[in-house]
Amino acid sequence: MSTSPLMILGHYQPGTSVVHRAPLLAKYLLVLVVSTSILIWRTPFVGVGALLLSLALFAIAGPRVLRAWAAPLRHLWWIFAILGIYQGIINSPAFAIALVCGMFGAIQCGRLILLTSTQAALLEGLEKAATPVRLLGGKPETIALAVALMLRSIPAIATSVQSLSDAAQARGVARNPLVLAAPVVINTVAYAQRTADALAARGIMERDS
Amino acid sequence: MIHFDNAGFSVQADEPQAPAHVVLAPTSLELSESRIAVIGANGSGKSTLLRMINGLVAPSNGSVRVRGDDTKTKIKAVRQNVGFLFTDPLSQLVMPIVVEDVELSLKASIKDRTQRRLAALSALAKLNLEHLAMRSIYDLSGGERQLVALCSVLAAGQNILVADEPTTLLDLANNQLLQHTIAALPQQVIYATHDLEFAAQAERGLLVANGQVIFDGPAALAVNEYRAQVRSGAIRA
Repeated sequence: MSTSPLMILGHYQPGTSVVHRAPLLAKYLLVLVVSTSILIWRTPFVGVGALLLSLALFAIAGPRVLRAWAAPLRHLWWIFAILGIYQGIINSPAFAIALVCGMFGAIQCGRLILLTSTQAALLEGLEKAATPVRLLGGKPETIALAVALMLRSIPAIATSVQSLSDAAQARGVARNPLVLAAPVVINTVAYAQRTADALAARGIMERDS
Repeated sequence: MIHFDNAGFSVQADEPQAPAHVVLAPTSLELSESRIAVIGANGSGKSTLLRMINGLVAPSNGSVRVRGDDTKTKIKAVRQNVGFLFTDPLSQLVMPIVVEDVELSLKASIKDRTQRRLAALSALAKLNLEHLAMRSIYDLSGGERQLVALCSVLAAGQNILVADEPTTLLDLANNQLLQHTIAALPQQVIYATHDLEFAAQAERGLLVANGQVIFDGPAALAVNEYRAQVRSGAIRA
């Protein structure tokens, strides 16, 4: 099975650690501070520090979260390797260490939000952040629901692609993205229609008649 | 009480001269029994009939009223009374964690987050599902998913449950579990099913064929009639 974005990014791992209980804003501030630091101070000390900080926070969040720490490395190690080797040659080994470690540390701090915050908490945060759209006549809750549906559709569409790919292979058709494109689009539209029906049936976002 | 007053649904053909395709012929019904089963072949019009009750399909002629509210003009009031359970629970579960999905149904009625969580847990407890509250919907069995979907549908306090082939994707054990759960519900339940034993348990049975309700009576007799129609070749695959 191909790697879905959600497998790399990770999804909520239940827990009661201090990281789980930390306010969403604090987690976002952590990402901001780490990202800004590695951009401003491009030294191995800061890069490795960001990486070790992320590892420490994953460990504090508990064994389930810690087990997910290496997931991006398993799938994307070659990107970091190419980047490190390239920067090591073009700039210096110290700069390569600072960049690769810093980038990975910042990514891990971002993943920590997804791994330790429920989707409801994430959406509530998004809803609060989108409050200014009310001034333009928009509804923050609609934006939050749209994001929830988008996140939910990623595994559904990935499963659809995999099923169609398996079906094509079972019939002796080689893996060809062009062959799969039309049925994937049709399946996705049908999935969207079912989702819309389900939301309507539950009266979610129902307008007053 | 649900009233179908000459309610039908047809789809206009692509060519203007061609006759419209009748999905459900004009139908008049009064549905008041506690358990009503709708049976018939695939494509017979069962789902259209059920969807009209929740307003998912608006009748192209006639009207459908639920407790006096027209499904075309009072859609919000109708959906506050009528919950709809689909065949595939994954199609209707929106949030990844069980309790969060139940909370989503309560969001419009309970603004306080803590109160909403308590109400969602209480709704889960009513169906003995509290142990699943923090589980991912992707880690549940088919039966558990369908029960969670049922809980989410009914969390907002609907009085009527419409279920479109709710047991079709379930294995025998989960099928039995869902049937027992539905049987114990205080709500009026109208369900389409291909499981004729499940259908026979209802008080009333509607047999739908070729877009028409061709039998309306005790469920056991509706099942017998369906079997006879299939045997005689009047209803074909």
